Amino acid sequence: MIVDCHTHWADCFQSRDGLDPSRWLADEARHGVTHALVLPYLGLLDDRLLRQENDDLAAVCAASAGRMIPFCTVNPFRKVEAVAEFRRAIEVLKMRGLKIHPWLQGVSINSDAMDELCEMAGHWKMPVLFHDGTPCYSLPSQAAMLARRHPKTTMVLGHCGLFEHWREAIAAMRGAENLWGCLCGPHLAALSEIVRRCDCQRLLWGSDFGFSFADVAGYRLGLLQSLRLNDSDYERITAENPKRLLGPVFSN
Amino acid sequence: MNEIIDAYSTPGTERETCLTATELLKLMDSAGIHRAVVAPEDREIAVNNTSGNDRILRMAGQSSGRLIPACTANPWLGRSACQELRRSAAAGARMLVLAPALQGFCFGDELPAELLAASAELRVPVYVHSGPHSFGSPTQLLLAAAEHPGARFILGHCGSTDYAADMPAVLASAPDNVWFELSLVRPWAAAAYAKAGHRDRLIFGSSAPRNCPAFELRMLDALLPVQDYPDIFGGNFAALLAEVQS
Repeated sequence: MIVDCHTHWADCFQSRDGLDPSRWLADEARHGVTHALVLPYLGLLDDRLLRQENDDLAAVCAASAGRMIPFCTVNPFRKVEAVAEFRRAIEVLKMRGLKIHPWLQGVSINSDAMDELCEMAGHWKMPVLFHDGTPCYSLPSQAAMLARRHPKTTMVLGHCGLFEHWREAIAAMRGAENLWGCLCGPHLAALSEIVRRCDCQRLLWGSDFGFSFADVAGYRLGLLQSLRLNDSDYERITAENPKRLLGPVFSN
Repeated sequence: MNEIIDAYSTPGTERETCLTATELLKLMDSAGIHRAVVAPEDREIAVNNTSGNDRILRMAGQSSGRLIPACTANPWLGRSACQELRRSAAAGARMLVLAPALQGFCFGDELPAELLAASAELRVPVYVHSGPHSFGSPTQLLLAAAEHPGARFILGHCGSTDYAADMPAVLASAPDNVWFELSLVRPWAAAAYAKAGHRDRLIFGSSAPRNCPAFELRMLDALLPVQDYPDIFGGNFAALLAEVQS
């Protein structure tokens, strides 16, 4: 079992395949990826589209025989609508977490609405996954401050700081016990340091597949394998930790 | 087989760049890389310019020509920086490395003007690290390149990750004195840059040991075959170096 914890369902797939995830899944399966945590795309760019995209993403994942786990998005800039849509996504669409891209969505991680959404996520035991590594709204330290304010909510750095803020991501994860990191973006030496210095029980792996048709999963899985982790750490990062993060939602 | 040149590596002594010359040469052998630029490590780029340049020059001098020395000088040192560039170039350095974020200046302001003029006089290409976000963006480098037409610039990392969206416009509008180095650029993006008609400006680099050269080359080769793009994997950079005054 390999769970790709950072993927997207972008409009290019929907234009080509409608709501059928077969070809998307086949692209991932070629690299041995069995399951994926699937994040929105268009709704991060334009909040007029996010409600429809949450519907579509739920439908796509429902057609995946349990291999695709959907996360919704909402725009915290519009607090009332965001709270209502998050509730709908969880209660009606049965989505499994919340993705926020503060940089693209134009709202700081540390905002009043984020606090309320994080309390809701903690109540439902839904993880909140952030884009991170980009100032001025998406720094790992900003996520750490939010995580400290909401200790019952599990939060995930979606990129572990990318190329430029990975040292900050290490500090952030060491400074907030409910903050996890997805190994998706930093270079090989940075990934090695993150694994060495952070709690391996809170690390995930992701490819960022699905923005386009580019075949990115092989590259990023190759990077992870280049770390030459022992079997138990590899198993933790690719399978056991995602299961603990999301609970019993995976098919065999 | 055409020569593969790695335009950037950092065999350092601390943090994530720890790598000896012997280890680097082994990595190069396993990747099929003939020559590689060796550049000072972060602390040497920020504050210990002279000792870093000397370390790199010594390392390259013991490599039978396989390691190509780069030097650095912090523009805040003013004329002393120019002197350090001239001294290093006279001792064999073939490229000047600037890292605006490490060295504390915004690329495109007037601070490095004297240093860039000296590099132009020596025909030493100037490698500029792009990122983090406020320092060394691709667009800042384009403005500086237009301001200093006699200097030759290499944009390190092509703005990866967050300035990647700028790159199609940057590539299309870059003046003739700018080249683009591909370390940290993901293979699918590098292939897109090449296939958009910019192969004559692209330069392969690995940023070892931050990346594994063999792995990066293998991934690139799948989308941008080395044998089909000898210019990108060595030719373009060799032509740049050929003009450096010795």
